[in-house]
Amino acid sequence: MMRMEIALILVLVFVGFVYFGADKRTTPLHKTFSALLIITPLHLAFDAATVYTVNHLETVPPVLNEILHRMFIASMVIVVYLFYRYISILVEEETKKPVRFHLVAKIYLIIAEFLIMILPIQYTITEKGNYSYGIYVFACYISVAFYLLLCLWLLLKNRRQIDLKKKAAIGVALIIEGIVLVLQAIIPTLLISGMGITLMTLAFYLTLENPDVLRAELTEQKMSMLYLKSQVNPHFLYNTLDTIRIQAQLGGDKTTADLLMRLSDFFRLSIKTDKQMTMLEDETALSDAYMELMCYRYPKLKYNCDIDPDLSDVLVPNFILQPIIENSLLHGLKNKGYRGNITVTAEKSGGKQDCIEIEVSDTGSGFDEGAKKKVDEMLTHYDKEKAKTESIGILNVQKRIKLLCGKEYGLSYTENTEGGVTAHILLPIVREDYK
Amino acid sequence: MKNLKVLLVDDEIMIREGFKRLFDWEAHGCEVVGEASDGMEALAQIDVLLPDIVIMDINIPIMNGLKVIEVSRTKHPQIAYIVVSGYDDFSYCRKALQLQITDYILKPVNYEEFGSCIDNLKISIYESRANTQADSEKREERVISSITRYMQEHLSEEISLSVLAEEFHLNPQYISQLFKNEIGVGFLAYLTNIRIEKAKKLLLSTSLSVTEISESTGYGDYRVFTKVFKKTEGITPSQFRREFLDKEKL
Repeated sequence: MMRMEIALILVLVFVGFVYFGADKRTTPLHKTFSALLIITPLHLAFDAATVYTVNHLETVPPVLNEILHRMFIASMVIVVYLFYRYISILVEEETKKPVRFHLVAKIYLIIAEFLIMILPIQYTITEKGNYSYGIYVFACYISVAFYLLLCLWLLLKNRRQIDLKKKAAIGVALIIEGIVLVLQAIIPTLLISGMGITLMTLAFYLTLENPDVLRAELTEQKMSMLYLKSQVNPHFLYNTLDTIRIQAQLGGDKTTADLLMRLSDFFRLSIKTDKQMTMLEDETALSDAYMELMCYRYPKLKYNCDIDPDLSDVLVPNFILQPIIENSLLHGLKNKGYRGNITVTAEKSGGKQDCIEIEVSDTGSGFDEGAKKKVDEMLTHYDKEKAKTESIGILNVQKRIKLLCGKEYGLSYTENTEGGVTAHILLPIVREDYK
Repeated sequence: MKNLKVLLVDDEIMIREGFKRLFDWEAHGCEVVGEASDGMEALAQIDVLLPDIVIMDINIPIMNGLKVIEVSRTKHPQIAYIVVSGYDDFSYCRKALQLQITDYILKPVNYEEFGSCIDNLKISIYESRANTQADSEKREERVISSITRYMQEHLSEEISLSVLAEEFHLNPQYISQLFKNEIGVGFLAYLTNIRIEKAKKLLLSTSLSVTEISESTGYGDYRVFTKVFKKTEGITPSQFRREFLDKEKL
């Protein structure tokens, strides 16, 4: 019989491994489930131990046997109590109303544990195996029944407010545990209480605590936060900036007015993120606004952008140029005190037909020892890379180009002979078709 | 020329103040005679003040700017409208052009560059007057009209005051003065205007590249052309082509 307990422990340890390794919020519900995942294997361990000791009454010291039995029963009551806690928290979350049995359930737990510790134990010896019985076992049965009935009542009382998926999960778990309990009470030699408890824990895990589901919820929540952020009407932002600009100019502050004009240009251009593809000239307009502001902040910085106007209506993935420029600034020119040039050019690529190559060249400090290799590696294996914060911008650019334009296009870096680096963005020449 | 009367219509006081105080109206032969902050007020002011030019924001309370233009157009067909539009209501702008407004500008308004807008307006007033005169009165051809016709015909070549002086056997200063007196704008502003107008026509009616258009309108370097175009139109040549051809596609 011990084999079943060992298998159940292994299953739960595996579940615990996945569960604790996953990224999740710390809510009372998750805390309760975590406690359940720790106590249940312990309970199963006591279960396995007692299965052994009760069948080797002659060789095992009676005191040890008794302690193990009491621990086994006591932990079972705690596990069932945790089931009740879990379901009551769930019900509270769903109905937004407090459940009034917490104190009763807690007091009952203490009394039950106390009784289990002191009531006498007897052992029954049968051909199919030995088991313990006596009034203390009844304390256990009553406790389990008490908590399960409490759960059932909570469920039935609030059945209208609870989500169908959750209702089904709890219902199935309760039915399994109920059947197991009845069977165990009728045929004591079955020793299947551990199975019921494990199945119930698994039912919760699979339906309500599955890390994949939780992760999806978490991502959804983060996304909706971003969405909410973007809901702050951008027109409000740049209309207000424009009002401040006019006020500054009326006050005679031309420099401030010009800077605000550029800043509102930058905002206006950068909120056009609803489109996947945009004209190259929209991209350069955004980087112009960005770099004019940066050049004002760092007067030693020079920027030049030279795009053949016949390429200015080529469609490129939205928001690819500014992150590359920002990257050149932060990794190339910042170390040189923002002293140097950034040049953006675009031309038809000589090698392939119908390609455009955009180059962002800087006169910065260049790659550190080995950094070139790392960047190349990252850009080649862009799909396997986990984004580190310092390279998330260029990695994102690479991913979007590959996704939107095809795998043969993309971003690469070379070192300039006179210092600094050049980013090469190779793209297909695609135009919106007017005619 | 007498000063042109200007009415400012915008619901934001700061924008009206900006127009009023940051642009040198006097130097451009204009005078702000009134303001309005909503559609109804604008209609009333137009009736009372009879302005020559109305600077009209589209997005104003009670009645939008385009509606105001439609309504007052029948009563006062001689008024020139300059529509001010937020960048994102470009579709309005196109509708505005269908209403035969004189010009449109995009917010945020760069008040220093607003002058070219007034110049364009004067040129269009001059041109419509020249046309009606030619038709009705058949007056003797004036020097200024032969000069402007010559400029129209030689747009892709180098045109300067000295070239014109040679061609018409006149003093360059005299020609420059002639532009100020007859049209109310400087020679260069006029030249830029007709070049950009030609470029706009070519952008919409041909599939010539921007480089080719910049050459045929007398701009040797496309960079200069793109810059000048952006400055007067608020958008680049290819954006212009895209926006207006999009309209036809609809």
